[in-house]
Amino acid sequence: MARGGRAAMSTPAPASVYRSGEGLGLWEHRGKVAAVGIGHSPTARRWDGKPANSVGGISLAALRGAIEDSGVDPADVDGLVMDPTTTTGAFWPQGKPLPWDAINAYERTDDPLDGITRLSAEWMLKNMPELTGVQFTRYGMGCMSSAICVAAQAVGDGRTHTCLVLKSWHNLEGRYYQGGANAGNAIPGSSAIRSLWGTPACFGTAVQFAEYCRKYGKSHDMMAPFIENSRNNGLKFPEGYWAQHRPEEITPEDYKAARWIAKPANLFDNDMPIMVSAAYLFTTAERARQLKQKPVYILNHASSRTRPRSLTPTLDEVEEDTARTARKIYEGAGITAADLSFENMYDGFALFHQFHIEGLGYRGIKFGEALDFYQTDISIGGPNPVSPSGGNIGCGRSRFWMHTDCIQQIQRRASSRQVTGVKPEVAVSGGPMPLGGNFTVWSSTPG
Amino acid sequence: MILVSFDIDGTLEEGDPPGILTMDFVRQVKGEGLLVGSCSDRPISAQRALWARHGIDVDFAVSKHMLGEVKASFDAEVYYHIGDREDLDKRPAEQAGFRFLWPHEAVAMPWTKTGSVRP
Amino acid sequence: MKQGVDPDDLTRPFWEAANEGRLVIQYCADCDRLQHPPGRTCHACGSGDTLQWRQVSGRGRIYNYGVVHDCPIRLLQEDQPFNAAVVTLEEDPGIQMYSHLPGTPVDEVPVGEAVEVVFEATANGQKVPEWRVAGAQR
Ligand SMILES: [Zn+2]
Repeated sequence: MARGGRAAMSTPAPASVYRSGEGLGLWEHRGKVAAVGIGHSPTARRWDGKPANSVGGISLAALRGAIEDSGVDPADVDGLVMDPTTTTGAFWPQGKPLPWDAINAYERTDDPLDGITRLSAEWMLKNMPELTGVQFTRYGMGCMSSAICVAAQAVGDGRTHTCLVLKSWHNLEGRYYQGGANAGNAIPGSSAIRSLWGTPACFGTAVQFAEYCRKYGKSHDMMAPFIENSRNNGLKFPEGYWAQHRPEEITPEDYKAARWIAKPANLFDNDMPIMVSAAYLFTTAERARQLKQKPVYILNHASSRTRPRSLTPTLDEVEEDTARTARKIYEGAGITAADLSFENMYDGFALFHQFHIEGLGYRGIKFGEALDFYQTDISIGGPNPVSPSGGNIGCGRSRFWMHTDCIQQIQRRASSRQVTGVKPEVAVSGGPMPLGGNFTVWSSTPG
Repeated sequence: MILVSFDIDGTLEEGDPPGILTMDFVRQVKGEGLLVGSCSDRPISAQRALWARHGIDVDFAVSKHMLGEVKASFDAEVYYHIGDREDLDKRPAEQAGFRFLWPHEAVAMPWTKTGSVRP
Repeated sequence: MKQGVDPDDLTRPFWEAANEGRLVIQYCADCDRLQHPPGRTCHACGSGDTLQWRQVSGRGRIYNYGVVHDCPIRLLQEDQPFNAAVVTLEEDPGIQMYSHLPGTPVDEVPVGEAVEVVFEATANGQKVPEWRVAGAQR
């Protein structure tokens, strides 16, 4: 195959790939695509300048890990779906000398920062000569949640039979969201309409949460058990940042003593940007049965593409859309809320996790009930596990722990994080935002 | 009495990222009879665990926004906060009535001894 | 003090009106619908030809708010903590604008109260719509 040439033409998947409409019926490939392998790079807070720890280097580690874990011959891999954007908010500073040691440690593309602050499929394939059979590359933009949808659809459609799915993040020195226009004095008129007011990234979620608390008579303190549970689960996730580097719990007292970022969102409602890469290997259900790991079948993928009417979604807009998303998730998978063994919806920011699970009607909860639900047993040992991955709060900012966790739980290899109060059979994961996300239903059986 | 508050990340050698001040430096300041503690974005329980791990019996461990409460709780002639960030250390410290020191300034203070900076 | 603004093609009418003490919002004549933030096309019908700018009364209500303690913009960090409110327009409560609510004490925001637009200078002199609780002292 013309590896570099083919990958150079990689493009984002068209909107039609994503199942964002309502009433689409059962997914046509329900149970015919399976995840079989997982690979994770180590985590780091920031890049230390070493080539192997660059975003390209850690992506190689994750992809090779997924191949080895699944037991496929690298030559059998014929697809690669990934997100070419890797920034957590950090960009290479203008005028700063390029890191040529790291750039030249690998086969490079025309863009010297490819593999450093972004990542093309072409770069990946140039640096993985063992992948001799890749004939399909596609970009799922934004996060692993979208790459999964693109890859699942591609395998189902027969465009690739053995497909790697990759998401990687880089983080550099310097403070999050402090670069660029924020440091200067004048900003472009279009962005000024939002950003003149200096609202941090969590602001939209914070005010939705404020509206939620006013409407339902809830309080921020009621989030403490969710945060504590998430971090506890994350500390049992050996691939995660906090488990690897700083095994710190967040007790309810810690949570309530944290400083506000945008009240009612505090420091621990926000996740921490890190460097990390994860890869999965997807294949057809038939091929999966020949491989060494237990297949985890994909029953559906579904997406939300709803835009808010104005600057930030209102609580009504959020609830309408999470309910709509849940209908799409369940309809395409042919399941109901009662079939969910556990949930792994996104949590970065923590204050919107309840929107996701209320929309799902997880364990029958209705709008306004999740915070009361958090006061009950939501641990991995109980009957109602919430975010067993620990999510971004438990493991650092990646937007993919929940997917890895669903696969590992259903394969029953989630180590000390394994759910014990329920049988891990059907689970849902996805995100990021309540308005605008991509979701996957995973199952121990093809349906 | 002098009170010294330490930021952790970017300030102490145990920080993430590591700073220039060693745990021995803190131990030595404490040994001079000063009031010593931490003011950090780490969970308070994690700050306490860090100090316990190094056998340093601190007088306080608080979140980043709580220096005012520290000042109200301890009677001292001078209050110092040592940190590495303009927005999260210097400004709030000065607002709370603390004198602010960058880590490299802290090692030059009369209540410190030389040789306690991470190479 | 807010950062200055460089009006661009899409938003120039909004900023020019602000400098004249008027609040204008993008409006689709076909849909009879306001939209904000401004777009190249109508978010409802997709048309670009039907978009105009319409002056509105400058009256609204406080829909929601948060209090910013850790702001990404250096110029505003001096003012922390500060209110950041979501104001909705009297003409269409679906249209939101952000506000620091000048004159309203931090975290004492009367959600639901009526507000009126005022125009405040930014770092480069460009004026920007801000909102005060109606009847509050200047
Ligand atoms: Zn229209």
